[in-house]
Parts: sequence; C-alpha cells; structure tokens
Amino acid sequence: MAAFEKELLALLPRLRRFARSLTHDAADADDLCQVTVEKALLAQGSWQAGTRLDSWMYRIMRNAWIDTARSRSRAAETFVGEDAGLSVGATGNAEARVALNEVDAAMRTLPDEQREAVALVLVEGLAYKDAAEILDIPMGTLTSRLVRGRQALMARLGEAA
Amino acid sequence: MTIEPEMLMAYADGALDPLSAKRVERAIAENPALADEVARHRRLKVRLASAYAPIAEEPVPDRLAAMLTSNVVPMQPPLRQRSRLSLPLWQSAAAMAACLVVGVLLGRQVDQGPISATEHGLYAAGPLASALDRQASGGDGAVRIAVSFRATDNDFCRVFQSAAADGIACRDAKGWALRRTMPGSAPKAGGGYAQAGSSDAELMAAAQDMMADMPLDAEGEKAAIAKDWRSR
Repeated sequence: MAAFEKELLALLPRLRRFARSLTHDAADADDLCQVTVEKALLAQGSWQAGTRLDSWMYRIMRNAWIDTARSRSRAAETFVGEDAGLSVGATGNAEARVALNEVDAAMRTLPDEQREAVALVLVEGLAYKDAAEILDIPMGTLTSRLVRGRQALMARLGEAA
Repeated sequence: MTIEPEMLMAYADGALDPLSAKRVERAIAENPALADEVARHRRLKVRLASAYAPIAEEPVPDRLAAMLTSNVVPMQPPLRQRSRLSLPLWQSAAAMAACLVVGVLLGRQVDQGPISATEHGLYAAGPLASALDRQASGGDGAVRIAVSFRATDNDFCRVFQSAAADGIACRDAKGWALRRTMPGSAPKAGGGYAQAGSSDAELMAAAQDMMADMPLDAEGEKAAIAKDWRSR
C-alpha cells in the first residue's frame, strides 16, 4: 500500500469521529466518510507530502458535508433517525451510548458554523489556529463561533451558570 | 477590567499567550464567577471529548477500509486478520505498549528532569511535580494542567501537558504516580506540529473513565492544593 493510503487508513478512526459529530447519525457519518475518502483519493495529487494530512482530510470532509447538507435541506427537513447512536453498541456499553446521545442531541441544535468549530476544537482537539485554517476563517471568527457554540451547549447540557 | 468571553474560553483551553493569561488570572482573582466559567468550559470539553471517543475506538467498517486497501500488495499484513472483535483489543494493547515505551524512555532519559523511574514505577519529579502540586488548571507555562479530579480509588489525579510528556498523574503516598504517559504536546518553540488531536482526546477519555464524579472546580482545586492533595 502506498504511504498516502496507509496514512489515510490510520486517520479513519478520527475521521469517523469528526463525521459523527457533524452528522449526529452513524449511517450518515459513514456515508460522509466514504465520500471524503473518494474525494481524497481523486485529489491525492494536490496534497503536499510533509504537510498535515489530518487537516487536509478534515477540510475535505467539512466541505463535502456542507455540499450534502445543502442539497438535503432543499429536499426536506433532516430526518432524525430513531436508531441514531445505536451503532456505538457494537463495542460500547449502554452508558457510553446514553452519554453520546445526550451530547449528539445538544450538538444537533447548534447552527452548522458553530457545530463545526466545536467539533474541531473540543472533539478533535485541534488548536484554534488549525481549526481556523481548516474552516478558512480568521481566528476572531473562529473564537466567536466557538464561544457561542459552547455557551449554547452548556445551557443544553445543564452546565449553565 | 473586562475580560471578553472569547478570552476566558481561550484561557480555559490553555490557548492564550503568557501575557494575556496573566491578565485573565488577575481578573479571576477579582471575580470568582470567572473561575466558575473557566471550570464550566473545561467540564464541557471533557464531556464532549469523552462522549465521542468511543467512535474513534470502534473498528473501521470494512467497506471504508477496503477503499484504501483493495490494491494492497501481498507484502502487507492482511487487514482481515484484525477481526471486528480483536481490533479494539489490539489497538489498546498497542497503545499501552507505546505508553510503556514512552514512559520507560522518558524515565531513562530524564531521570533528573520531570520524570523519575523508581522501584514503584514512574513518578513526576522536578518542575512537573511542583506544577502538579501547586498549579491551578488552565493557564500557560511549561506545564499545563488540563483538569483535576478524584479517581474511583479516591486518589486525586490531574491531566497534564508538557513539552516532555502528556499524561495523567495521581497523588499517592510517594508522590505523583504517572498512570498514563504520551509524547508531549505542549507547544514547542517555533510552533512545531503538536499532536494535540489524538493525545488530548485520548487522555480526556482515559480521565473520564477514572473519574469518581465531576472534575474539580476552581474551589475544589484550591482546597485540594491547600491539603497537599491528600485524599484520606
């Protein structure tokens, strides 16, 4: 396997996690992963070895999600899958599932621009600077979206003052 | 002095330069409500990181992995061997082995530095030990403390980041025992590639597993520092 594919394979667990925090739904998340990997394989030539592959992949995934979300919201309200969260049960336990469902539900209420900032910084653990680059926004925009998203989540999750 | 919500959040994340961090600390000293807000930011971070952590630990579905491995040359170990059930085990064993190696290497390299290898295992020493003893969570410096909590075995533990190592240290009778160590992620001079992503989320998830209840807030931390982190 070429080095590119190998590195990409190693990133898949993190990409699945990012996809899940964007989409709230296990099946949608894996569809998004598939589209992202397809796009990455096609665009492979434009990735510069030595630069961060994770940032490059997060960016592709985020843009792919915007595209699909846009076309879906035109069609209908997002369908809320009843079994969202159930797939964690494959290896997880009931407690983990409940924790994820609560957080998923709170994340779902955020506007996209706040959710993606929260996902990159709080879930994926990226530095502000890297998240701002992936989202193609200035640092000030990132921090203001991030702080609003977090305050909304705190209120939802019972962490309010 | 007013502190913007963005600045307070950045302080909670350890993302401020030392000068701004000092400004925030002065404001916090005057207004305890700000300390609560910092604690809320940190608790939210732990909660989100640990809620999504299981996804990254699941085996990757075959159809996704196959997109990258379908042209595999025969030299490559067959991916199928990592069956659905054995993958997480294999992963955690590898991660554990990596932690041990890092720990042992660190112990050897820097016996007089931040970590010392004793007959009872790895313990924090020098600047790391004093930061764990006295430093409040958040803020900037050579050592950053992300969060403090009481573990299910009743010891106090703290998640730390430093240039030499990241990890979880728990206070026992002999000092700060290192329960987890990973390569350091704290920014090195020049802003090199810090592995914040993986180690941060992994440590937070590990911490969540160890916690008896919620992380300590600023008050709880202060009280623990005053009692020298004695839990009993």
